[in-house]
Amino acid sequence: MIQQLLYQDTALDASVEPNNHGAEVSIGDSKYVVKPLAPGKYSVEMNGIRHTVCCVIKDGRVHVDVEGVLLELTIPSEDDDMAGGDAGMVGEKDKIYAPMPGKVVKLLVGEGDEVTEKQPLVIVEAMKMENQVNSAANGTVKKINFSDGDQVDTDTPIIELEITE
Amino acid sequence: MSDKLFKKILVANRGEIAVRIINACRLLRIPSLAIYSTADTDSVHARMADEAVEIGPPPPLESYLALDKIIAAAKSYNCDAIHPGYGFLAENPLFPEKCEEAGIRFIGPSAEAMRLMGNKVEARIKMTGAGVPVIPGMKDAGADLRMFEEAAQEAGYPVLIKAAAGGGGKGMRVVNQPEQLQESVEAARREAKNAFGDDTVYLEKYIENPRHIEFQVLADHHGNTIHLFERECSIQRRHQKIIEETPSVAMTPALRAQMGQAAVRAADASGYRNAGTVEFLVDKNGGFYFLEMNTRIQVEHPVTEMTTGSDLVVEQIRIAAGEKMSEYLFDASQRGHAIECRIYAEDAENNFFPSSGDILYYEEPVGPGIRIDSGVTGGTTVGVEYDPILAKLIVHAPTRDLAIAKMINALRDYRILGIKTSRKFMMDVLAHPEFRAGRTYTDFIEKNMGDREVDVVPAVEVAAAASALAMMRKAPATAMGIKTAKPSPWQTIGPWEIGMRIAK
Repeated sequence: MIQQLLYQDTALDASVEPNNHGAEVSIGDSKYVVKPLAPGKYSVEMNGIRHTVCCVIKDGRVHVDVEGVLLELTIPSEDDDMAGGDAGMVGEKDKIYAPMPGKVVKLLVGEGDEVTEKQPLVIVEAMKMENQVNSAANGTVKKINFSDGDQVDTDTPIIELEITE
Repeated sequence: MSDKLFKKILVANRGEIAVRIINACRLLRIPSLAIYSTADTDSVHARMADEAVEIGPPPPLESYLALDKIIAAAKSYNCDAIHPGYGFLAENPLFPEKCEEAGIRFIGPSAEAMRLMGNKVEARIKMTGAGVPVIPGMKDAGADLRMFEEAAQEAGYPVLIKAAAGGGGKGMRVVNQPEQLQESVEAARREAKNAFGDDTVYLEKYIENPRHIEFQVLADHHGNTIHLFERECSIQRRHQKIIEETPSVAMTPALRAQMGQAAVRAADASGYRNAGTVEFLVDKNGGFYFLEMNTRIQVEHPVTEMTTGSDLVVEQIRIAAGEKMSEYLFDASQRGHAIECRIYAEDAENNFFPSSGDILYYEEPVGPGIRIDSGVTGGTTVGVEYDPILAKLIVHAPTRDLAIAKMINALRDYRILGIKTSRKFMMDVLAHPEFRAGRTYTDFIEKNMGDREVDVVPAVEVAAAASALAMMRKAPATAMGIKTAKPSPWQTIGPWEIGMRIAK
């Protein structure tokens, strides 16, 4: 079974083979033996080196601690209706909303640009954290309603797309 | 101790220090009253105290800084003492004054001592009179060059020319030799004029590569004033301490005795009672200079407690009640080495920007010599209203090397998810050869950590491997039954109220 994950712009396709103890997970050429230790806590082993990893899934993201290093992975799934990752709502993929009220830090596209599914479109800062909002479809940027530095709520789309299927 | 020292203590603070004080009250079997703002309804400190009362909305001025509301709460709940903790109202002389008016004991120094130490000029004069060294230099602005020459001669080169209206390094000039003095004074004046519209400048000795070393003092109302040795707090970011340790590698028995005596004189000269901290800058030749006195319990007090085997908050309460300080303190000595790391909700990779959110996973390290003073737990919402300190991790070991190793392990095992913390950053500081060598000066972070880069690449695949299994088990946090992230019974019990609300 393939689980898709994103770290920033890097796609990580993890092939999971469950076994009695947990699973063998292959990513690229690497094979990891993963065992659950406690709820939210896993042992991840490769070539005899074991790491203790904690992870919690929330709102389309996996918050992970690898021995002090904090990472956030994104789950690129269709039915994400919450913060982060693909913020496009089902049936409304042509409108890009802020995940929560905040500030437009940086628009990554301009009007008329062609975009592809999962392409980062805009970075919104909310709760003092930067959130990257990705496109949920292929298309062209029809209209941009805000500029860098603008405050946004969750009712007005930041970007409107013309979808090409 | 059959009689209680106080009937009930109001804890006028939040977070880890409120928890720390409540624990001390428990040891003394004194009931405690927590106050909380509406942002802290489900906080650890409000849950832990014997009673808790909502004091107002989140803005500090309407809650933790609302002096009159706090005094009113103390009265209506029959508290006969208030502990201010640190921050908020802890060093506001109006607090002890208002307490006295209301017939409530303030657990801390007098308003007078606070006022004296709050005024830098007066404190400097008082300290000089008490034989406590201050940074040599001019007390007032210099008019002509001769005054600068004389002052520089007296202080000894290098000297620092500073703008009276100054700040941010503007109008500031380091002078290494007498020949450069005239030119530097003129340049500093021009800069000060441009930056602040005021060309008044003065001169003081320039302390190269200083260490920040402070002494814990304790004074009771029976004529006893003691010090409990030093804490070195040179590791700072944005002028805020993040790692503290004791003993300091810069200390010799002779210097320790000298500085300790100076700290005791500083406390005595200002009529200080209760626990306080005398801060010094120490130069590379072991010269030390009074900086200021903190008239409260310090954030970093646990490292002193770990190495001297003392309980400073218990002593604060005893002293405020008019008791003698505990007998064991008179022959206290330093045993082993202790380090504290402050766990802030902040992003070290993004200029230490505060981070907020819900704590989704929380696991504390355990083991001998590991202490955690925490104000949070799994499920706690960390907002942006207050200081981002979440907890303090303290370790105690026989030697500095072992303490460093123990701290790195403990930071690794202190797992907090959902908000950013600077654990990895501090692990890197502790592992740095300069830190290990004890070359800890106040510019440590800008000098040694400026070009730090975290290589996350090896961690990313490991993270993804664990995440993939977690996802496959169809595992949103709640369905997995993550113990720490589950709402506590206090959150699910339904509407209820402790005590009553204060009339607004």
